[in-house]
Amino acid sequence: MHMADALLSPAVGIAMNAVSVGAIAVSVAAVKKDVFSDKKIPLMGVAGALIFAGQMINFTIPATGSSGHIGGGILLAGLLGGVPAFLSLAAVLIIQCLFFADGGLLALGCNIFNMGVIPCLIIYPLIFKPLLKKGSDVWRLGAASIISVVAGLLAGAFCVVLETYFSGITALPFGAFAALMLPIHLAIGIVEGIVTAAVLVFVRQSRPEIIDSALTNGRIGGGVSLKRVLIPLLVLTVFVGGGLSLFASTNPDGLEWAIGNVAGETELTADSDIHESAEAARESTAILPDYAFASEPDNAAGTSLSGIVGAAITFALAGAAGFTISVVKRAKKSKKADT
Amino acid sequence: MKRTESGIGELRALDHLSAKHTAVHRLHPLTKLLCALVFVICVASFGRYDAARLAPYLFYPFVFMALAELPYKLLLSRVLIALPFCLFAGFTNVFFDRETAFVLGGIGVSFGVISLCTILLKMYLSVMAALLLVATTPFVELTAQLRRLRVPIAFVLMFEMTYRYIGVLLEETHRMTTAYSLRRGTGKALEMRHMGSFVGFLLLRGFDRAERVHTAMRLRGYSLFAPPVSRRVLGAADVIVLAAVVIPAVALRFITIL
Repeated sequence: MHMADALLSPAVGIAMNAVSVGAIAVSVAAVKKDVFSDKKIPLMGVAGALIFAGQMINFTIPATGSSGHIGGGILLAGLLGGVPAFLSLAAVLIIQCLFFADGGLLALGCNIFNMGVIPCLIIYPLIFKPLLKKGSDVWRLGAASIISVVAGLLAGAFCVVLETYFSGITALPFGAFAALMLPIHLAIGIVEGIVTAAVLVFVRQSRPEIIDSALTNGRIGGGVSLKRVLIPLLVLTVFVGGGLSLFASTNPDGLEWAIGNVAGETELTADSDIHESAEAARESTAILPDYAFASEPDNAAGTSLSGIVGAAITFALAGAAGFTISVVKRAKKSKKADT
Repeated sequence: MKRTESGIGELRALDHLSAKHTAVHRLHPLTKLLCALVFVICVASFGRYDAARLAPYLFYPFVFMALAELPYKLLLSRVLIALPFCLFAGFTNVFFDRETAFVLGGIGVSFGVISLCTILLKMYLSVMAALLLVATTPFVELTAQLRRLRVPIAFVLMFEMTYRYIGVLLEETHRMTTAYSLRRGTGKALEMRHMGSFVGFLLLRGFDRAERVHTAMRLRGYSLFAPPVSRRVLGAADVIVLAAVVIPAVALRFITIL
């Protein structure tokens, strides 16, 4: 479910990065006093690394022939408590982005939000913990894990759809994308939820103190309340998102598209002049326009062709530049070796 | 379990690459970080059909890869990881955006195809930007830079720990999966019903191991909250490189040459 740089606009990417940095800052401040003891930090590091290593294990899903791997958020939260789990998951996502090309620098904020903030800071305190209020026996723990993982994955997948949609890089209609993503992630969520439940139940049975201390850890520092983490986050989101979208809406692509849509839908009843232009706008933005209309020879053909030729030449030049540097460097080295 | 093996291999390969001594490796980490960020933002800001205008940006990865003496093959293979999701999103564009943009040799090229090209180019460029950063900056310098940027020390420490433990735990995972498949007699993936105890054991073993490692570190005088922060200022080379990357990257965003 890693979001990629290529599908994001800078406005969405930067806004989500700001939100995630804010979430990390608030979480660090919130847990600093009590949790960041000498022992807790290595434990959080290990837990994050464990999730990473655990995700490398493929398992077969019975009766389907396909394979899956474990998710991170709820499992970590169950082991460490929500806020510490979020921090260690954020560290894992940064490492995945930098060293394993999963996601990208611009998409990092989205990924931390979708896979870290949602399960650890929203689902865990709102769903997982209340379900275990009356005790964490095997059945409760199992049910809470499955429900939380499914809810977290669905919310995360929905955010991927929203982020992609607001970036406007793909032509996918919002509804179709959501209708595609949500059922897939519901299925993944059920499988992941069962595995998460099995792992947490196993840990509960062999080392009950880990799970229980995680549950009580939620009240670290005499109340890292949900409010203290979420309200600044919400304010930050609104400010950054709002500010950046103002800036982004001056982008002609987005504006033209929006105008085309509005014109196509609301002004069809006006006089014929407007009607015609609206019709043209609708047709040029339609998903499957008439080919006769679209293939009319116009200037776009010429400019695009020259663009392609230019791009090919640039590509060749860039490649040649890199190649020349390598050759020169190698020649220098072999000269040094000779003397 | 090929995945755990390749994970270990990838980390080692990057460690080796970042330990080289070239002009790029000697640059200030902040320079490389800023270059990567500006580059990624510029690339991402192009519109759906701007594939051609993105071409000049290829100079950045090609030239830096050559200067840093990085193997093309390894870095190309990394790009493939990000491919599936981008391809999925890109191909839907081909289906939904079928208006013909221009005709090339008698075949109509639709706007969807152009936007697919844009997405693939963007993916390549942004993945390369991040990889160039980590393949030329040793991990220790990267986290030293984070400290200099006043990132909360607790988070930097955790980041370092996670990175170091990933290597350790991948090897642990590899051992366990090997034992599992030997015991089972097939090389196939785990069964889902074994996942609970398998991952559970991995967790418990990891926690125990972490405690032992931590105790050993403490006994040798390691202290969490007093790490040395090295000072380092930007040199002339850094300023030149920054200018050489940032100015064209931003300029190309606003000036159309193709």
